[in-house]
Amino acid sequence: MTKPIKRRDFLKVAAVGAAAVAASRAIQKANASEGVESGPNQWVMVIDQSKCIGCGYCTLACQSHNDINPDIQWNRVMAAGEVDGKDVFLPRPCMQCAKAPCVEVCPVNASYYRPDGIVMMDYDRCIGCRYCEVACPYQARSFNWKAFDGTNPAVPKWGQPEVARRPRGVVEKCAFCYQRIDRGLALGLQPGVDADATPACVVACPTGARVFGDLNDPNSNVSKLLKQNVSYRLRDDLGTGPRVYYLPANAEKMEG
Amino acid sequence: MLKNLHLKLPSFKITPWIVWLGFLGLLLMAALVGGILVFWNGLWITNLTDLVPWGLWITIDLSSIALSAGAFTLCAAVYLIGLKRYQPIARTATFVGLIGYTMAMLALLLDIGRPDRFWHAIVYWNEHSLMWEVTMCVVLYLTVLVFESMPIFAGFDWFKKRFPKVAGWMSHLHHYAPYLAIAGLFLSMLHQSSLGAMYGVIKARPFWFKPEMSVLFMYSAIVGGISLTLFASMLSARLTPKARINDGLIERVSYFVAWALVGYLYFRFWDALAQNYTYQPGRTEGLHLLTGGSLSFNFWAGEILLGTLVPMILLLTPSTRKHPFWRMVALGLVVGGVVAFRWDTNISGLLMVISYLPGQPTVAYTSYRPSLIEFITGSGVIAYGLLAFSFGVKYLRVVDHRFAEEPETVKMKSVETVPV
Repeated sequence: MTKPIKRRDFLKVAAVGAAAVAASRAIQKANASEGVESGPNQWVMVIDQSKCIGCGYCTLACQSHNDINPDIQWNRVMAAGEVDGKDVFLPRPCMQCAKAPCVEVCPVNASYYRPDGIVMMDYDRCIGCRYCEVACPYQARSFNWKAFDGTNPAVPKWGQPEVARRPRGVVEKCAFCYQRIDRGLALGLQPGVDADATPACVVACPTGARVFGDLNDPNSNVSKLLKQNVSYRLRDDLGTGPRVYYLPANAEKMEG
Repeated sequence: MLKNLHLKLPSFKITPWIVWLGFLGLLLMAALVGGILVFWNGLWITNLTDLVPWGLWITIDLSSIALSAGAFTLCAAVYLIGLKRYQPIARTATFVGLIGYTMAMLALLLDIGRPDRFWHAIVYWNEHSLMWEVTMCVVLYLTVLVFESMPIFAGFDWFKKRFPKVAGWMSHLHHYAPYLAIAGLFLSMLHQSSLGAMYGVIKARPFWFKPEMSVLFMYSAIVGGISLTLFASMLSARLTPKARINDGLIERVSYFVAWALVGYLYFRFWDALAQNYTYQPGRTEGLHLLTGGSLSFNFWAGEILLGTLVPMILLLTPSTRKHPFWRMVALGLVVGGVVAFRWDTNISGLLMVISYLPGQPTVAYTSYRPSLIEFITGSGVIAYGLLAFSFGVKYLRVVDHRFAEEPETVKMKSVETVPV
């Protein structure tokens, strides 16, 4: 004879079952990047440290095209030691990580992935909790501590603003000049080839140290460069999957 | 004729209560001005930076949530485990919890860059974010706490006279206490541990990136939360006849706190020393920061000696545990120790700046000292908590261990004879 199930026992089993289903659904998508289909283009940037002379033109172009507060730099150029007595520099835009810690931790989905791999910021949604800033291993994010209502010293010499200024109290970052890419594609231009469809820092670089393009296209400049050269990414050990590749400085290829 | 003109002035005496209210009022006024300055100017007037974006306010926020943990622990003990005699303490703890969570909300409103968008986390879900999870749990748990403390508010004499029907409904909610306790236990365990996990998942900061963060946060919250409830009860009983305590009851719970502290000491030592006794960029430096660097006083004196060891010994020794004064000192020290732990945890991870340049990451140190405006607004948040608790003691009898629950109706079938 089987024992009839008591109501209390039934409720217990039902609760455990419901919890298990909920947990398994949460685990199915272990991180936010798995919720986004990759699109036909995967934009990456390759920075050749043999060519970078540390002039900082990329930073200035970035400041003007994205209308950035002079207290903030989305794109920093840092001294990174020397090779055979020649100075080496390391420009650092946002890495547009494939598994971006900032996107995972954002409580309101203000940071999100685009299908082309760009890590975007929704400045109308950000609450300014700064968790993303704490989580980013590259210090690529800056908080608007102060309202930026003055004139931009980089405008008009280094270009005209293409995006709206961010309000006080939100976190901001580089987004590979998505506005130039989108407008360029709409006009039938090719990002990485046509200047108008390419990030401002890449266009401004006087030595051609920065190359931009589609990693899905085997004939793009970036695909070829990465195939022919040794490259590395910053803090690859963290598993963030940066979309910015560096070609290490080679003294023989460097000037003076 | 002059006598007829003599005006009748209301009698006004300066009592300690008035002085206390005046003191808290001053702190609140200063904080109000400070808060307006923060909202008007933005966060640049604080000493927070892009390297140390979380500081004093987040510590107040974390501490007030941790120290509210007495509510869920004691409610679970009373209504789920069945330790009914601790019900009066659970009642105090619930009220302390309600205050603590609203304090946390106030601190967060100051801290976030766009307080006008505080509701975004409730509308735009990112279920992968621990911060989102904590926010949701805190909002839901605050709702549970409001329901749990309804019977307390129903006891307010003026309210009972003015709206007897509403007061009746509110006190009736008491019958749902076990269900609320289940919800509270579930939500609290989730977010108390998630607050630790919020730090524990940050791979970019090796000193935080440890699985035990969530365990430590929950454990210390339970110990600290109970201690604060007991401490506040004992202190109010010393200061006002409105608060009546059952000293034996408090002593029993203090004995539990004593043994819980033994466990906490082990966990904290294991976490701080064993887990970091290695070389990994950031970890070793973090250990140095705690044991010999700028946080060493906080760690050794605040957390270990005064926060854990001394109260542990005071509460384990029967003579000092039975002595109300020493017991109160011990419980107060535990509260301080938990606050010190929250401060150390938050700031230690932020003070180390780990390079991302190629090669082995190097570690640099930055510094942070809260600005005056952070102190003023922060103490205003604490003053609000003290004021709310003081009113609770005076008008709602939140510390009253003689408080009798409404008698439970015994349901029995009419055919059964009443047992004599």
